[in-house]
Amino acid sequence: MATVTNWIDHLSAKEVAGAVYPGAGSTETLLVIVGIVLWIGWHVLTSNSESEELSKLAKKRRSANDHKSNITEW
Amino acid sequence: MTDQLGALTTIFTEFYYWITVVLMFLIHVGFCMYEVGASRYKHHQHTLMKNTMLIPLVTVTWFFFGWWIYWAFPTGPGLAPSIMNESAALITDDSAFSAKWALPTSDILAVNLGDHITGVFWAAFLLFSWTAASIVSGAVIERITTFAFGICAIAIGSVFWTIDAAWGWHFDGWMLKILGYHDAYASGVIHAVAGGFALGILMVLGPRIGKFSSSGEPRNIGPRNPWLVTIGLFLIYTGFWGFYAACNIPIFDLGPEYGMEGVTYFTATNIYVTPTTLGGITMNFLMSLSGGLLAGYVIAKGDPFWTYSSGLAGIICASAGNDLYHPIQAMIIAMIGVVIAYKLHYWVERKFKIDDAVGAVAVHGYAGVAGLIICGFVLNGYPSSGYNVGSMWVGTDYAPINPLGMFIGAIIMFVVLGLIPGWIIAKVLHGMGKLRIPREVEIAGLDYNLLESAKDDEKAVSSSTR
Repeated sequence: MATVTNWIDHLSAKEVAGAVYPGAGSTETLLVIVGIVLWIGWHVLTSNSESEELSKLAKKRRSANDHKSNITEW
Repeated sequence: MTDQLGALTTIFTEFYYWITVVLMFLIHVGFCMYEVGASRYKHHQHTLMKNTMLIPLVTVTWFFFGWWIYWAFPTGPGLAPSIMNESAALITDDSAFSAKWALPTSDILAVNLGDHITGVFWAAFLLFSWTAASIVSGAVIERITTFAFGICAIAIGSVFWTIDAAWGWHFDGWMLKILGYHDAYASGVIHAVAGGFALGILMVLGPRIGKFSSSGEPRNIGPRNPWLVTIGLFLIYTGFWGFYAACNIPIFDLGPEYGMEGVTYFTATNIYVTPTTLGGITMNFLMSLSGGLLAGYVIAKGDPFWTYSSGLAGIICASAGNDLYHPIQAMIIAMIGVVIAYKLHYWVERKFKIDDAVGAVAVHGYAGVAGLIICGFVLNGYPSSGYNVGSMWVGTDYAPINPLGMFIGAIIMFVVLGLIPGWIIAKVLHGMGKLRIPREVEIAGLDYNLLESAKDDEKAVSSSTR
Protein backbone atom coordinates (compact mmCIF):
# COMPACT_ATOMS: atom_id res chain seq x y z
CA MET A 1 0.00 0.00 0.00
CA ALA A 2 2.85 2.43 0.72
CA THR A 3 3.16 4.98 -2.07
CA VAL A 4 6.43 6.34 -0.66
CA THR A 5 9.14 4.16 0.85
CA ASN A 6 12.04 6.60 0.66
CA TRP A 7 11.52 10.38 0.79
CA ILE A 8 14.95 11.20 -0.66
CA ASP A 9 14.29 9.04 -3.71
CA HIS A 10 10.77 10.40 -3.98
CA LEU A 11 11.66 14.09 -3.81
CA SER A 12 14.74 13.85 -6.02
CA ALA A 13 12.89 12.08 -8.83
CA LYS A 14 12.66 13.94 -12.17
CA GLU A 15 8.91 14.23 -11.75
CA VAL A 16 7.77 14.22 -8.12
CA ALA A 17 4.49 12.34 -7.78
CA GLY A 18 2.06 14.53 -5.84
CA ALA A 19 -0.31 11.99 -4.32
CA VAL A 20 1.37 10.27 -1.37
CA TYR A 21 -1.51 8.61 0.47
CA PRO A 22 -1.62 4.80 0.72
CA GLY A 23 -2.98 3.17 -2.43
CA ALA A 24 -2.64 6.32 -4.56
CA GLY A 25 -3.79 5.76 -8.13
CA SER A 26 -5.45 2.41 -7.54
CA THR A 27 -7.88 2.53 -4.64
CA GLU A 28 -9.80 5.82 -5.01
CA THR A 29 -12.90 4.36 -6.70
CA LEU A 30 -13.18 1.57 -4.15
CA LEU A 31 -12.79 4.07 -1.30
CA VAL A 32 -15.58 6.25 -2.70
CA ILE A 33 -17.91 3.25 -3.06
CA VAL A 34 -17.21 2.20 0.53
CA GLY A 35 -17.78 5.79 1.68
CA ILE A 36 -21.13 6.03 -0.09
CA VAL A 37 -22.27 2.69 1.34
CA LEU A 38 -21.38 3.89 4.85
CA TRP A 39 -23.19 7.18 4.30
CA ILE A 40 -26.42 5.63 2.98
CA GLY A 41 -26.25 2.88 5.60
CA TRP A 42 -26.02 5.46 8.37
CA HIS A 43 -29.25 7.09 7.19
CA VAL A 44 -31.06 3.76 7.09
CA LEU A 45 -29.89 2.74 10.57
CA THR A 46 -30.63 6.06 12.24
CA SER A 47 -33.95 6.55 10.49
CA ASN A 48 -35.18 3.18 11.73
CA SER A 49 -33.97 3.70 15.28
CA GLU A 50 -35.43 7.21 15.41
CA SER A 51 -38.84 6.00 14.20
CA GLU A 52 -38.82 3.26 16.82
CA GLU A 53 -37.83 5.65 19.60
CA LEU A 54 -40.46 8.22 18.62
CA SER A 55 -43.28 5.70 18.42
CA LYS A 56 -42.37 4.22 21.83
CA LEU A 57 -42.32 7.66 23.40
CA ALA A 58 -45.57 8.64 21.70
CA LYS A 59 -47.32 5.64 23.25
CA LYS A 60 -46.42 6.88 26.77
CA ARG A 61 -48.67 9.92 26.23
CA ARG A 62 -46.86 12.13 28.75
CA SER A 63 -48.18 15.60 29.45
CA ALA A 64 -46.31 18.82 28.74
CA ASN A 65 -44.97 19.11 32.29
CA ASP A 66 -44.18 15.47 33.13
CA HIS A 67 -40.52 15.93 32.22
CA LYS A 68 -40.10 18.28 35.18
CA SER A 69 -40.26 15.37 37.61
CA ASN A 70 -37.24 13.89 35.84
CA ILE A 71 -34.94 16.88 36.16
CA THR A 72 -31.88 15.68 38.05
CA GLU A 73 -30.32 17.55 40.94
CA TRP A 74 -26.75 16.42 40.57
CA MET B 1 7.44 25.04 -5.57
CA THR B 2 11.02 25.60 -6.59
CA ASP B 3 11.57 29.32 -5.93
CA GLN B 4 11.26 31.06 -2.58
CA LEU B 5 8.75 33.75 -3.60
CA GLY B 6 6.41 31.24 -5.21
CA ALA B 7 6.71 28.97 -2.20
CA LEU B 8 6.03 31.84 0.20
CA THR B 9 2.92 32.92 -1.71
CA THR B 10 1.59 29.37 -1.88
CA ILE B 11 2.24 28.49 1.74
CA PHE B 12 0.88 31.86 2.90
CA THR B 13 -2.32 31.30 0.90
CA GLU B 14 -2.65 27.76 2.22
CA PHE B 15 -2.20 28.96 5.80
CA TYR B 16 -4.55 31.90 5.26
CA TYR B 17 -7.46 29.66 4.25
CA TRP B 18 -6.60 27.17 6.96
CA ILE B 19 -7.01 29.92 9.57
CA THR B 20 -10.35 31.00 8.06
CA VAL B 21 -11.64 27.45 8.42
CA VAL B 22 -10.72 27.37 12.10
CA LEU B 23 -12.40 30.74 12.65
CA MET B 24 -15.50 29.71 10.75
CA PHE B 25 -15.84 26.66 12.97
CA LEU B 26 -16.98 29.15 15.60
CA ILE B 27 -20.04 29.91 13.49
CA HIS B 28 -21.19 26.38 14.07
CA VAL B 29 -20.36 26.44 17.76
CA GLY B 30 -22.40 29.65 17.93
CA PHE B 31 -25.34 28.18 16.07
CA CYS B 32 -25.39 25.17 18.41
CA MET B 33 -25.38 27.37 21.52
CA TYR B 34 -27.93 29.70 20.03
CA GLU B 35 -30.35 26.93 19.14
CA VAL B 36 -30.07 25.20 22.48
CA GLY B 37 -30.63 28.57 24.18
CA ALA B 38 -33.69 29.20 22.05
CA SER B 39 -35.26 25.76 22.55
CA ARG B 40 -37.20 24.63 25.61
CA TYR B 41 -35.58 22.42 28.27
CA LYS B 42 -37.37 19.23 27.24
CA HIS B 43 -35.98 19.48 23.68
CA HIS B 44 -32.41 20.63 24.42
CA GLN B 45 -30.37 17.51 23.74
CA HIS B 46 -32.11 16.53 20.52
CA THR B 47 -31.88 20.12 19.29
CA LEU B 48 -28.14 20.06 19.89
CA MET B 49 -27.65 16.69 18.20
CA LYS B 50 -29.70 17.67 15.17
CA ASN B 51 -27.46 20.64 14.50
CA THR B 52 -24.29 18.75 15.36
CA MET B 53 -24.98 15.87 13.00
CA LEU B 54 -25.24 18.17 10.02
CA ILE B 55 -21.45 18.52 10.32
CA PRO B 56 -20.64 14.96 9.21
CA LEU B 57 -23.61 14.68 6.85
CA VAL B 58 -22.80 17.81 4.89
CA THR B 59 -19.06 17.10 5.03
CA VAL B 60 -19.22 13.63 3.48
CA THR B 61 -21.72 14.68 0.81
CA TRP B 62 -19.64 17.77 0.08
CA PHE B 63 -16.75 15.39 -0.58
CA PHE B 64 -18.87 13.03 -2.71
CA PHE B 65 -20.67 15.57 -4.91
CA GLY B 66 -21.03 19.11 -3.47
CA TRP B 67 -17.58 20.30 -4.47
CA TRP B 68 -17.99 18.81 -7.95
CA ILE B 69 -21.26 20.72 -8.49
CA TYR B 70 -19.54 24.04 -7.75
CA TRP B 71 -16.94 23.52 -10.45
CA ALA B 72 -19.26 21.86 -13.00
CA PHE B 73 -22.22 24.27 -13.04
CA PRO B 74 -20.99 27.86 -13.64
CA THR B 75 -22.39 27.85 -17.18
CA GLY B 76 -25.86 26.88 -15.97
CA PRO B 77 -25.45 24.57 -17.95
CA GLY B 78 -26.55 26.04 -21.24
CA LEU B 79 -26.96 29.66 -20.15
CA ALA B 80 -23.59 31.30 -20.85
CA PRO B 81 -20.29 30.05 -22.27
CA SER B 82 -17.33 29.52 -19.99
CA ILE B 83 -14.40 31.90 -20.39
CA MET B 84 -12.11 28.89 -19.97
CA ASN B 85 -13.31 26.61 -22.76
CA GLU B 86 -16.00 28.75 -24.49
CA SER B 87 -18.55 25.96 -24.06
CA ALA B 88 -21.89 26.35 -22.25
CA ALA B 89 -21.90 22.68 -21.23
CA LEU B 90 -20.98 21.43 -17.76
CA ILE B 91 -17.29 22.16 -17.16
CA THR B 92 -15.86 18.66 -17.03
CA ASP B 93 -13.00 18.91 -19.54
CA ASP B 94 -9.26 18.90 -18.79
CA SER B 95 -8.96 22.66 -18.08
CA ALA B 96 -7.36 23.89 -14.88
CA PHE B 97 -10.62 24.77 -13.08
CA SER B 98 -12.65 21.83 -14.34
CA ALA B 99 -14.98 19.80 -12.14
CA LYS B 100 -12.95 16.80 -13.23
CA TRP B 101 -10.46 17.66 -10.46
CA ALA B 102 -13.27 17.91 -7.91
CA LEU B 103 -14.51 14.35 -8.30
CA PRO B 104 -14.21 12.34 -5.08
CA THR B 105 -11.82 10.01 -6.90
CA SER B 106 -9.47 12.87 -7.83
CA ASP B 107 -6.00 12.55 -6.35
CA ILE B 108 -5.84 16.25 -5.46
CA LEU B 109 -8.66 15.80 -2.94
CA ALA B 110 -6.11 14.26 -0.60
CA VAL B 111 -2.55 14.79 0.62
CA ASN B 112 -0.93 15.79 -2.64
CA LEU B 113 2.50 17.44 -2.74
CA GLY B 114 1.64 19.05 -6.04
CA ASP B 115 -1.39 20.94 -4.73
CA HIS B 116 -1.41 22.88 -1.46
CA ILE B 117 -4.51 24.98 -2.07
CA THR B 118 -7.40 22.73 -3.14
CA GLY B 119 -7.87 21.14 0.27
CA VAL B 120 -8.09 24.38 2.23
CA PHE B 121 -10.32 25.96 -0.43
CA TRP B 122 -12.53 22.86 -0.31
CA ALA B 123 -12.72 23.18 3.47
CA ALA B 124 -13.51 26.91 3.39
CA PHE B 125 -16.42 26.23 1.05
CA LEU B 126 -17.51 23.32 3.22
CA LEU B 127 -17.77 25.63 6.21
CA PHE B 128 -20.03 27.87 4.12
CA SER B 129 -22.13 24.74 3.49
CA TRP B 130 -22.45 24.03 7.20
CA THR B 131 -23.56 27.61 7.73
CA ALA B 132 -26.27 27.30 5.07
CA ALA B 133 -27.60 24.13 6.69
CA SER B 134 -27.32 25.52 10.19
CA ILE B 135 -29.38 28.58 9.25
CA VAL B 136 -32.21 26.20 8.35
CA SER B 137 -31.72 24.19 11.53
CA GLY B 138 -32.77 26.99 13.89
CA ALA B 139 -36.04 27.71 12.14
CA VAL B 140 -37.39 24.17 12.47
CA ILE B 141 -36.46 23.24 16.05
CA GLU B 142 -38.62 21.20 18.41
CA ARG B 143 -40.75 19.45 15.77
CA ILE B 144 -38.71 18.18 12.79
CA THR B 145 -37.29 14.64 12.86
CA THR B 146 -33.52 14.30 12.84
CA PHE B 147 -33.78 12.14 9.72
CA ALA B 148 -35.76 14.78 7.82
CA PHE B 149 -33.44 17.53 8.92
CA GLY B 150 -30.44 15.48 7.78
CA ILE B 151 -31.91 15.18 4.28
CA CYS B 152 -32.72 18.90 4.22
CA ALA B 153 -29.23 19.78 5.46
CA ILE B 154 -27.63 17.75 2.68
CA ALA B 155 -29.96 19.31 0.10
CA ILE B 156 -29.18 22.90 1.06
CA GLY B 157 -25.57 22.33 2.16
CA SER B 158 -24.30 20.10 -0.62
CA VAL B 159 -26.66 20.78 -3.53
CA PHE B 160 -28.66 24.00 -3.72
CA TRP B 161 -26.27 26.48 -2.18
CA THR B 162 -23.42 25.06 -4.25
CA ILE B 163 -25.47 25.44 -7.44
CA ASP B 164 -26.10 29.08 -6.59
CA ALA B 165 -22.43 29.53 -5.75
CA ALA B 166 -21.50 28.13 -9.17
CA TRP B 167 -24.00 30.48 -10.83
CA GLY B 168 -23.42 33.67 -8.85
CA TRP B 169 -20.15 33.35 -6.96
CA HIS B 170 -17.79 31.58 -9.35
CA PHE B 171 -15.61 33.90 -11.44
CA ASP B 172 -17.06 32.16 -14.52
CA GLY B 173 -20.70 32.13 -13.29
CA TRP B 174 -23.48 32.82 -15.78
CA MET B 175 -25.26 35.20 -13.40
CA LEU B 176 -22.28 37.57 -13.48
CA LYS B 177 -22.23 37.54 -17.24
CA ILE B 178 -25.93 37.82 -18.02
CA LEU B 179 -27.27 39.67 -14.96
CA GLY B 180 -24.25 41.54 -13.60
CA TYR B 181 -24.76 39.74 -10.29
CA HIS B 182 -22.48 40.80 -7.43
CA ASP B 183 -22.54 39.27 -3.96
CA ALA B 184 -19.06 39.57 -2.48
CA TYR B 185 -19.81 38.26 1.03
CA ALA B 186 -22.87 36.15 0.29
CA SER B 187 -26.00 38.13 1.13
CA GLY B 188 -27.67 35.91 -1.44
CA VAL B 189 -25.56 32.86 -2.12
CA ILE B 190 -25.58 31.76 1.52
CA HIS B 191 -28.15 33.77 3.45
CA ALA B 192 -31.03 34.42 1.04
CA VAL B 193 -30.95 30.87 -0.30
CA ALA B 194 -30.87 29.31 3.16
CA GLY B 195 -33.59 31.66 4.42
CA GLY B 196 -35.79 30.81 1.43
CA PHE B 197 -35.13 27.09 1.89
CA ALA B 198 -36.10 27.34 5.57
CA LEU B 199 -39.31 29.16 4.66
CA GLY B 200 -40.19 26.42 2.14
CA ILE B 201 -39.81 23.76 4.85
CA LEU B 202 -41.74 25.79 7.41
CA MET B 203 -44.69 26.13 5.04
CA VAL B 204 -45.07 22.34 5.09
CA LEU B 205 -43.81 21.59 8.60
CA GLY B 206 -46.25 23.88 10.41
CA PRO B 207 -45.89 25.73 13.71
CA ARG B 208 -44.96 24.34 17.12
CA ILE B 209 -47.94 23.24 19.22
CA GLY B 210 -49.22 26.26 21.11
CA LYS B 211 -47.53 28.87 18.95
CA PHE B 212 -50.86 30.19 17.70
CA SER B 213 -54.07 30.57 19.67
CA SER B 214 -57.31 29.08 18.37
CA SER B 215 -58.11 32.49 16.89
CA GLY B 216 -54.75 32.51 15.09
CA GLU B 217 -52.99 35.04 17.32
CA PRO B 218 -49.24 34.30 17.56
CA ARG B 219 -47.80 33.65 21.02
CA ASN B 220 -44.22 34.34 21.94
CA ILE B 221 -42.09 31.28 22.80
CA GLY B 222 -39.03 33.20 23.89
CA PRO B 223 -35.53 31.78 24.36
CA ARG B 224 -35.23 29.68 27.50
CA ASN B 225 -31.64 30.71 28.06
CA PRO B 226 -30.93 34.22 26.74
CA TRP B 227 -27.31 34.04 27.93
CA LEU B 228 -26.59 31.01 25.79
CA VAL B 229 -28.22 32.79 22.88
CA THR B 230 -26.05 35.84 23.54
CA ILE B 231 -22.80 33.90 23.60
CA GLY B 232 -23.92 31.94 20.57
CA LEU B 233 -24.51 35.08 18.56
CA PHE B 234 -21.19 36.59 19.66
CA LEU B 235 -19.49 33.43 18.43
CA ILE B 236 -21.36 33.67 15.14
CA TYR B 237 -20.12 37.27 14.78
CA THR B 238 -16.59 36.02 15.45
CA GLY B 239 -16.87 33.22 12.95
CA PHE B 240 -18.23 35.69 10.44
CA TRP B 241 -14.80 37.37 10.46
CA GLY B 242 -13.38 34.12 9.19
CA PHE B 243 -16.16 33.92 6.65
CA TYR B 244 -15.31 37.38 5.30
CA ALA B 245 -11.64 36.47 5.12
CA ALA B 246 -12.42 33.20 3.37
CA CYS B 247 -14.33 35.05 0.65
CA ASN B 248 -11.10 36.76 -0.46
CA ILE B 249 -7.99 35.73 -2.27
CA PRO B 250 -5.32 37.22 0.01
CA ILE B 251 -2.62 37.89 -2.57
CA PHE B 252 -2.96 37.89 -6.33
CA ASP B 253 -1.21 39.54 -9.28
CA LEU B 254 -4.04 40.96 -11.37
CA GLY B 255 -1.82 42.25 -14.20
CA PRO B 256 -1.26 38.96 -16.01
CA GLU B 257 -4.65 37.65 -14.85
CA TYR B 258 -6.47 40.41 -16.74
CA GLY B 259 -4.08 40.15 -19.71
CA MET B 260 -2.48 43.57 -19.07
CA GLU B 261 0.90 43.36 -20.73
CA GLY B 262 3.82 44.34 -18.51
CA VAL B 263 1.58 45.28 -15.58
CA THR B 264 2.21 43.81 -12.15
CA TYR B 265 -0.47 44.60 -9.56
CA PHE B 266 -0.52 42.56 -6.36
CA THR B 267 -3.64 42.96 -4.24
CA ALA B 268 -6.22 41.09 -2.22
CA THR B 269 -9.29 40.30 -4.27
CA ASN B 270 -12.85 39.24 -3.62
CA ILE B 271 -14.25 35.90 -4.81
CA TYR B 272 -14.75 37.35 -8.31
CA VAL B 273 -11.03 38.17 -8.58
CA THR B 274 -11.65 41.94 -8.53
CA PRO B 275 -9.55 44.09 -6.21
CA THR B 276 -10.47 45.07 -2.66
CA THR B 277 -8.61 45.56 0.61
CA LEU B 278 -8.83 43.57 3.81
CA GLY B 279 -8.67 46.90 5.66
CA GLY B 280 -11.70 48.28 3.84
CA ILE B 281 -13.85 45.22 4.32
CA THR B 282 -12.92 45.10 8.01
CA MET B 283 -14.27 48.63 8.43
CA ASN B 284 -17.41 47.73 6.53
CA PHE B 285 -17.93 44.58 8.57
CA LEU B 286 -17.79 46.57 11.80
CA MET B 287 -19.89 49.46 10.55
CA SER B 288 -22.61 47.15 9.22
CA LEU B 289 -22.59 45.23 12.51
CA SER B 290 -22.96 48.55 14.30
CA GLY B 291 -25.74 49.72 12.00
CA GLY B 292 -27.61 46.47 12.58
CA LEU B 293 -27.26 46.69 16.36
CA LEU B 294 -28.30 50.35 16.46
CA ALA B 295 -31.40 49.78 14.33
CA GLY B 296 -32.27 46.52 16.09
CA TYR B 297 -32.10 48.11 19.54
CA VAL B 298 -34.55 50.80 18.45
CA ILE B 299 -37.01 48.70 16.49
CA ALA B 300 -37.09 45.83 19.00
CA LYS B 301 -37.26 48.29 21.92
CA GLY B 302 -34.09 46.94 23.50
CA ASP B 303 -35.06 43.26 23.30
CA PRO B 304 -31.71 41.42 23.53
CA PHE B 305 -32.69 38.49 21.29
CA TRP B 306 -33.65 40.74 18.39
CA THR B 307 -30.89 43.28 18.99
CA TYR B 308 -28.19 40.60 18.69
CA SER B 309 -29.93 39.04 15.70
CA SER B 310 -30.13 42.47 14.12
CA GLY B 311 -26.36 42.87 14.34
CA LEU B 312 -26.09 39.73 12.26
CA ALA B 313 -28.88 40.84 9.89
CA GLY B 314 -27.08 44.14 9.40
CA ILE B 315 -23.86 42.45 8.30
CA ILE B 316 -25.82 40.09 6.06
CA CYS B 317 -27.67 42.94 4.35
CA ALA B 318 -24.51 44.91 3.60
CA SER B 319 -22.45 41.87 2.64
CA ALA B 320 -23.27 41.84 -1.08
CA GLY B 321 -21.34 45.06 -1.63
CA ASN B 322 -19.09 45.29 1.42
CA ASP B 323 -16.03 44.89 -0.82
CA LEU B 324 -16.72 48.35 -2.27
CA TYR B 325 -19.08 50.32 0.00
CA HIS B 326 -18.06 53.30 2.10
CA PRO B 327 -18.34 52.38 5.81
CA ILE B 328 -21.24 54.78 6.35
CA GLN B 329 -23.04 53.33 3.34
CA ALA B 330 -22.54 49.90 4.92
CA MET B 331 -23.99 51.15 8.21
CA ILE B 332 -27.07 52.72 6.59
CA ILE B 333 -27.73 49.67 4.40
CA ALA B 334 -27.49 47.47 7.50
CA MET B 335 -30.06 49.64 9.28
CA ILE B 336 -32.47 49.43 6.34
CA GLY B 337 -32.07 45.66 6.16
CA VAL B 338 -32.80 45.22 9.85
CA VAL B 339 -36.02 47.25 9.70
CA ILE B 340 -37.22 45.28 6.65
CA ALA B 341 -36.32 41.90 8.20
CA TYR B 342 -37.94 42.65 11.56
CA LYS B 343 -41.17 44.04 10.09
CA LEU B 344 -41.47 41.24 7.53
CA HIS B 345 -40.89 38.56 10.18
CA TYR B 346 -43.92 39.60 12.23
CA TRP B 347 -46.07 40.33 9.19
CA VAL B 348 -45.43 36.86 7.69
CA GLU B 349 -45.89 35.20 11.08
CA ARG B 350 -49.29 36.84 11.62
CA LYS B 351 -50.52 36.64 8.04
CA PHE B 352 -49.39 33.13 7.05
CA LYS B 353 -49.01 31.48 10.49
CA ILE B 354 -45.36 30.69 9.85
CA ASP B 355 -43.48 29.74 13.02
CA ASP B 356 -39.83 30.60 12.44
CA ALA B 357 -38.52 29.73 15.89
CA VAL B 358 -35.34 31.84 15.78
CA GLY B 359 -36.17 34.41 13.10
CA ALA B 360 -33.78 32.72 10.65
CA VAL B 361 -35.88 33.45 7.58
CA ALA B 362 -35.91 37.12 8.53
CA VAL B 363 -32.30 37.55 9.62
CA HIS B 364 -30.83 35.58 6.73
CA GLY B 365 -33.51 35.47 4.05
CA TYR B 366 -35.22 38.84 4.08
CA ALA B 367 -32.08 40.78 5.05
CA GLY B 368 -30.13 38.93 2.35
CA VAL B 369 -32.68 39.70 -0.35
CA ALA B 370 -32.85 43.35 0.72
CA GLY B 371 -29.06 43.51 0.60
CA LEU B 372 -28.91 42.21 -2.96
CA ILE B 373 -31.52 44.67 -4.21
CA ILE B 374 -29.88 47.62 -2.46
CA CYS B 375 -26.48 46.58 -3.83
CA GLY B 376 -27.88 46.79 -7.39
CA PHE B 377 -28.62 50.48 -6.87
CA VAL B 378 -25.58 51.51 -4.83
CA LEU B 379 -23.04 49.70 -7.03
CA ASN B 380 -24.92 50.35 -10.28
CA GLY B 381 -22.37 50.52 -13.12
CA TYR B 382 -19.43 48.81 -11.39
CA PRO B 383 -18.00 45.88 -13.36
CA SER B 384 -19.13 42.49 -12.07
CA SER B 385 -15.79 41.05 -13.18
CA GLY B 386 -12.33 42.25 -14.08
CA TYR B 387 -12.08 40.21 -17.24
CA ASN B 388 -14.24 42.11 -19.74
CA VAL B 389 -17.46 44.04 -19.30
CA GLY B 390 -20.17 44.23 -21.94
CA SER B 391 -23.92 44.56 -21.61
CA MET B 392 -26.75 42.62 -20.00
CA TRP B 393 -28.24 39.41 -21.42
CA VAL B 394 -25.40 38.74 -23.92
CA GLY B 395 -23.55 36.19 -21.85
CA THR B 396 -20.28 36.06 -23.78
CA ASP B 397 -18.78 38.81 -21.60
CA TYR B 398 -19.75 40.22 -18.18
CA ALA B 399 -22.68 42.59 -17.58
CA PRO B 400 -22.06 45.47 -15.17
CA ILE B 401 -23.78 45.47 -11.76
CA ASN B 402 -27.31 46.90 -12.12
CA PRO B 403 -30.60 47.04 -10.16
CA LEU B 404 -32.65 44.76 -12.45
CA GLY B 405 -29.99 42.06 -12.60
CA MET B 406 -29.59 42.12 -8.83
CA PHE B 407 -33.36 41.95 -8.31
CA ILE B 408 -33.61 38.91 -10.59
CA GLY B 409 -30.60 37.45 -8.80
CA ALA B 410 -32.36 37.89 -5.45
CA ILE B 411 -35.41 36.02 -6.76
CA ILE B 412 -33.21 33.20 -8.06
CA MET B 413 -31.51 32.89 -4.68
CA PHE B 414 -34.51 33.15 -2.35
CA VAL B 415 -37.27 31.55 -4.43
CA VAL B 416 -35.84 29.41 -7.24
CA LEU B 417 -32.96 27.75 -5.36
CA GLY B 418 -34.28 28.25 -1.82
CA LEU B 419 -38.02 28.28 -1.20
CA ILE B 420 -39.15 25.97 -4.02
CA PRO B 421 -36.65 23.13 -3.38
CA GLY B 422 -37.24 23.41 0.40
CA TRP B 423 -41.00 23.16 -0.09
CA ILE B 424 -40.75 20.21 -2.49
CA ILE B 425 -38.35 18.22 -0.29
CA ALA B 426 -40.48 18.90 2.79
CA LYS B 427 -43.60 17.78 0.90
CA VAL B 428 -41.92 14.52 -0.10
CA LEU B 429 -40.74 13.85 3.46
CA HIS B 430 -44.19 14.72 4.77
CA GLY B 431 -45.73 12.30 2.28
CA MET B 432 -43.42 9.57 3.61
CA GLY B 433 -44.53 10.37 7.17
CA LYS B 434 -40.94 11.27 8.05
CA LEU B 435 -41.02 15.06 8.38
CA ARG B 436 -42.55 15.82 11.75
CA ILE B 437 -42.32 14.13 15.13
CA PRO B 438 -45.57 12.73 16.63
CA ARG B 439 -47.76 15.22 18.50
CA GLU B 440 -47.40 13.22 21.74
CA VAL B 441 -43.61 13.46 21.55
CA GLU B 442 -43.66 17.17 20.88
CA ILE B 443 -45.82 17.67 23.99
CA ALA B 444 -43.79 15.33 26.20
CA GLY B 445 -40.46 16.64 24.89
CA LEU B 446 -37.96 15.01 22.57
CA ASP B 447 -35.63 14.44 25.52
CA TYR B 448 -38.23 12.76 27.75
CA ASN B 449 -36.60 9.33 27.65
CA LEU B 450 -33.14 10.78 28.21
CA LEU B 451 -34.35 12.78 31.20
CA GLU B 452 -36.19 9.79 32.64
CA SER B 453 -33.12 7.64 32.26
CA ALA B 454 -30.91 10.26 33.92
CA LYS B 455 -33.35 10.46 36.85
CA ASP B 456 -33.22 6.68 37.24
CA ASP B 457 -29.42 6.85 37.27
CA GLU B 458 -29.53 9.54 39.92
CA LYS B 459 -31.85 7.49 42.10
CA ALA B 460 -29.68 4.40 41.71
CA VAL B 461 -26.51 6.25 42.66
CA SER B 462 -28.21 7.97 45.63
CA SER B 463 -29.53 4.70 47.00
CA SER B 464 -26.12 3.06 46.76
CA THR B 465 -24.43 5.85 48.76
CA ARG B 466 -26.84 5.87 51.72
